Amino acid sequence: MADFWNPYAALSPGQRKALGIGAVAALLLLWAGLAASGWVSSNRLPAPWDVAAALSYLTWHEGESLLATATLWSLGRLVVAGVLVVAIGIPIGIAMGAAPRINAALSPLLDPFRSAPVVALLPILVMWLGIGEAMKIAFLFIGAVVYLIPMVRDAIRAVPQSYWIGARDLGATPWECVRKAVLPMAMPRIADALIVAVSVMWTYITVAEYVNAKVGLGQLIQNARRFSAWDQVFAGIIVIIALALATYQLMLFAKRKLYPWETHQ
Amino acid sequence: MSASAAPLVQHAEAERRNSISIVLKDIVQEYPAPGGGATRVVGGIDLALERPGINMLLGPSGCGKSTILHMMGGVRPIGVKTPTSGSVLIDGEPCDGAHDDSVMVFQRYANRPDLSVFENVAFPFRLKLWRQRLPEGEWRDRVTQILAAVGLADKKDLRPAQLSGGQNQRVALARALVLRPRILLMDEPFGALDAQTREEMQHLLVKLYNDRPCLVVFVTHDVTEALMLGDRVIVLSAQPARIADDFVIGEPRPRSGTWQRSSEAVKLEERILNQLHKVSPGKGSLRVTV
Repeated sequence: MADFWNPYAALSPGQRKALGIGAVAALLLLWAGLAASGWVSSNRLPAPWDVAAALSYLTWHEGESLLATATLWSLGRLVVAGVLVVAIGIPIGIAMGAAPRINAALSPLLDPFRSAPVVALLPILVMWLGIGEAMKIAFLFIGAVVYLIPMVRDAIRAVPQSYWIGARDLGATPWECVRKAVLPMAMPRIADALIVAVSVMWTYITVAEYVNAKVGLGQLIQNARRFSAWDQVFAGIIVIIALALATYQLMLFAKRKLYPWETHQ
Repeated sequence: MSASAAPLVQHAEAERRNSISIVLKDIVQEYPAPGGGATRVVGGIDLALERPGINMLLGPSGCGKSTILHMMGGVRPIGVKTPTSGSVLIDGEPCDGAHDDSVMVFQRYANRPDLSVFENVAFPFRLKLWRQRLPEGEWRDRVTQILAAVGLADKKDLRPAQLSGGQNQRVALARALVLRPRILLMDEPFGALDAQTREEMQHLLVKLYNDRPCLVVFVTHDVTEALMLGDRVIVLSAQPARIADDFVIGEPRPRSGTWQRSSEAVKLEERILNQLHKVSPGKGSLRVTV
């Protein structure tokens, strides 16, 4: 235990896995214990087995899968918003990082939104865009892009100046310096920004589907809540967490494959 | 190209390399100081470098010698007017921005971790300027040649992270020389290397210089390095930089350890240190490799 309070101690992969699984198992046991003992009413805390049953019911019941349909719709909204975030947010972030004048002009417009309650924009979006898909996608887009842009800007600015000077000296035009010397070096951190943006969208999906969703994971949770089907609410939340985690791991894997040369100082 | 034209072209190229000059006229450089006002980094420099040769700019650390080198290269790292006053002439033409007569080599070699050694050396040919000038077959040949010359032919597919510090600096040197510049500007290129590797790199530089002489301006704070490499040594005082001494060394290169310990070399070393103590006592630091 001499290594317990040592931030630099290296854990073996087996040790790390064991501790992680142990913690999840402990939480499940505690949950099961609470539910079985009857101290907490099932109206407040559904038992794990009830949640499992709800999950199975949602996955397949009478020839249809409510869960698959809901997941596909939510995923679809997320992908559309994600494409917009990449197509609009990344170029803006790069421009802000590469040109101090653009940054000086845009950052007072964008930075406050990082600490502003994006959720409060929902009624305004409903007013402007109605209650259809456009509103939901716009909400996911805004929620994620206000995180993404500053991170992309910082990724560009974190590239050591020597790459810029070196390219400039070799006769690159200023734009060539950005495009061919600075940007390639910023790509791993831009990928990190995108991973964060997607995680943020997963956390906002329930809010986006709050208003007039006919189908979706958020709607599924809303609907279950309305009928006090707490086991289904829990099941829905668990599915969202699992999907968010899976996307995160997938994107991290892709990033490491794409940029194996990234160094961490 | 016909067989008889080749020597003519080579001759013309050699001619062009020989008629090269950098002239600094009363150069002053000031940078905005953090608390307002201005810090004078370079305090009035007149200097003429008018033929191929290795010119050492020797001065204490932080004396403004890199600033002078950046001016010669026409690179403005922080967007401040460079120089504040005075003029830099390349071949008699005022130089007020990036130009393609010179290439710089830095202490931080700025090799791209995502590119192979070959791609790093070929990086200039990703830029429009150089791509227009040389057909692909030709620049590929040049890259292969220079990689062999710096001793990295067998490492061409490796990434910089797989190389030592000295090998990385060879990559940087190759990237500069692949363009066959008329002016080579070196900013303490071997300053971060260990003593043995530094000496190897000095020998390599001498060999490459002899293959294709050009006008080299080499910034260093290492007195021994200046004496071992320089045709001419220009000693700068601590900030603001002024020329404290300027002399020629006739000893042919490569210079031996015996010459380094000769009375001529020892006297030059004392002369440099005395000059600096007279002009700017106790400011900055110089290194003498023993």
